[in-house]
Amino acid sequence: MENTVFTINNLNLYYDQFQALYGIDMKIKRNEVTALIGPSGCGKSTFLRCLNRMNDLIEGCNITGEVKFNEKDVYMNSYDVINLRTKVGMVFQKPNPFPMSIYDNIAYGPRCQGIKDKKVLDDIVKKSLTKAALYDEVQDRIKGSAMSLSGGQQQRLCIARAIAMEPEVILMDEPTSALDPIATLKIEELINDLKKNYTIIIVTHSMQQAARISDKTAFFLMGVLIENDSTNKIFTQPKNKKTEDYITGRFG
Amino acid sequence: MELLKKNPFRDKFNSKKEAIDYFVRTFFMISAIISSSFIIIIVVFIAKEGIKPFITDNNGIGSVNLFSFITGKVWLEGTAFLSNLYGVGFIIINTLYISFFALLISMPIGVLTALFIAKIAPKKIAEFLRTVVELLAAIPSIVYGLFGSGIILVFVYNFAKIFGIQSKGGNSVLATVLVLALMILPTITALSEVAIRSVRSEIEHGSLALGATKTQTNFKIVLLSAKSGIFTAAILGVGRALGEATAVSLVAGNARSGPSFGFFETTSTLTSTMLQGLKETVGIDYDIRFSVGLVLMVVILLTNLMLNFAKKRVGNINVK
Ligand SMILES: Nc1ncnc2c1ncn2[C@@H]1O[C@H](COP(=O)(O)OP(=O)(O)OP(=O)(O)O)[C@@H](O)[C@H]1O
Ligand SMILES: [Mg+2]
Repeated sequence: MENTVFTINNLNLYYDQFQALYGIDMKIKRNEVTALIGPSGCGKSTFLRCLNRMNDLIEGCNITGEVKFNEKDVYMNSYDVINLRTKVGMVFQKPNPFPMSIYDNIAYGPRCQGIKDKKVLDDIVKKSLTKAALYDEVQDRIKGSAMSLSGGQQQRLCIARAIAMEPEVILMDEPTSALDPIATLKIEELINDLKKNYTIIIVTHSMQQAARISDKTAFFLMGVLIENDSTNKIFTQPKNKKTEDYITGRFG
Repeated sequence: MELLKKNPFRDKFNSKKEAIDYFVRTFFMISAIISSSFIIIIVVFIAKEGIKPFITDNNGIGSVNLFSFITGKVWLEGTAFLSNLYGVGFIIINTLYISFFALLISMPIGVLTALFIAKIAPKKIAEFLRTVVELLAAIPSIVYGLFGSGIILVFVYNFAKIFGIQSKGGNSVLATVLVLALMILPTITALSEVAIRSVRSEIEHGSLALGATKTQTNFKIVLLSAKSGIFTAAILGVGRALGEATAVSLVAGNARSGPSFGFFETTSTLTSTMLQGLKETVGIDYDIRFSVGLVLMVVILLTNLMLNFAKKRVGNINVK
């Protein structure tokens, strides 16, 4: 398979009159973890939402340029958004399990795609929970409510829910910002594990987290992609002065 | 001497804020007591009147037997006032039967309308529909009654004729059900809409991000998340259906015996029975209407308790 999952060309995004992204050019490689960093309001979440077209839900949001997923521009009129979202999963900042059982949470996505066979679903649920390192903790209450899980468990459930769709890419928008350090560590370990099979793009405010888990790091500032390189380079010898300032904590 | 120096007010409240807090709370408590005492006064008054037929000899007519009153299948067919002629058993059943069908009609319509207003309709249309629903909810019941007797009775009459049934001018179970369904529809729609709109958008986005369509999200996630509020809408709807009198009296046909299960039979409800001739009658025939009122209160109370219990159960399905 082609090595580049996403190719973004000259992407501009407007919320009504306000321009939130300026001419973004970026390539995202398969089976890598890409971290998006930058000060609050610089457009990280906005950029992330372009990749699975969740921006479609925001009224007044307009886009120019190309976002190619596996060589095809997802903003073409004929592009199947539903299909895109099954291939590009998303994990949100706050854990958002559905008010139903753990089992139903995970079976939800496959069921929406028309999978009804109970054996198949059982299998998907078990596999996804295992991959999300949650199975051992919840195996005896899989039919119990997802709402009774702890925050960290809920977030791993949301990851499991995304995995159940067998996506190629998982987008994560500050997935650990609502969690305590131990739950955060678990998720980070999980991400390290998952990158063998998935491409992960993660927004984070923690430099340490970006350094710990990512292969590539992209630094955004006021809607502009300032620098995008291997994480090692960004953190040791950034090319841009602004990147250096941000990383060393001189602003942001 | 030590004691005298102490300011009891100072002692009780550590700060001015605490004192204010104390008075505000007391104020709220007094208001709560006043409003709840009205309920008690009303209940006591109705109970006092309603018990009379059972414990006095009703000026020589004889006292009413409670058991045959509750289970009776006839309500004063004929002209003489006799103590053994009052039975509300069939009327209780009629009332529940009618309310059930009214809810059966207006729940799906109301919830789907609410979903449409909250999630599907373009902003302007949604705003317009919301106003319409609010207006409908504010229409007095007598207007629904007039609409019922002017339009629905004619419709039901002609509808019955298709089946070769001669209905009593359209006065029937069906007409009552339709009028009630119409009346509780705005309540159910408005409350369901609020419940649907208050579903957290993160949950909805979570569903859409999994590749669910808008429709799948609406039906599987939004309605599910709003179910507790929707159930509340149903409870209030039933409450209104059980207690509605004016409109019902105009289309029920006031059957004197029953229960009436056939859709084209005339029927009667607890409220329509109470209202029937209330101003022209005296003695036992007057007092017994308060007894019916007591029965109505008990029926509403029990139904509410049952539905609230069911709501808790429904709320717990998959969630515990
Ligand atoms: N729905 C919206 N409508 C209008 N403007 C928006 C909307 N969402 C975001 N913006 C604006 O776009 C800019 C980028 O926002 P975005 O949420 O992408 O930032 P972010 O980098 O994710 O910030 P944070 O780190 O705080 O999450 C901000 O100036 C924000 O105010
Ligand atoms: Mg953000």
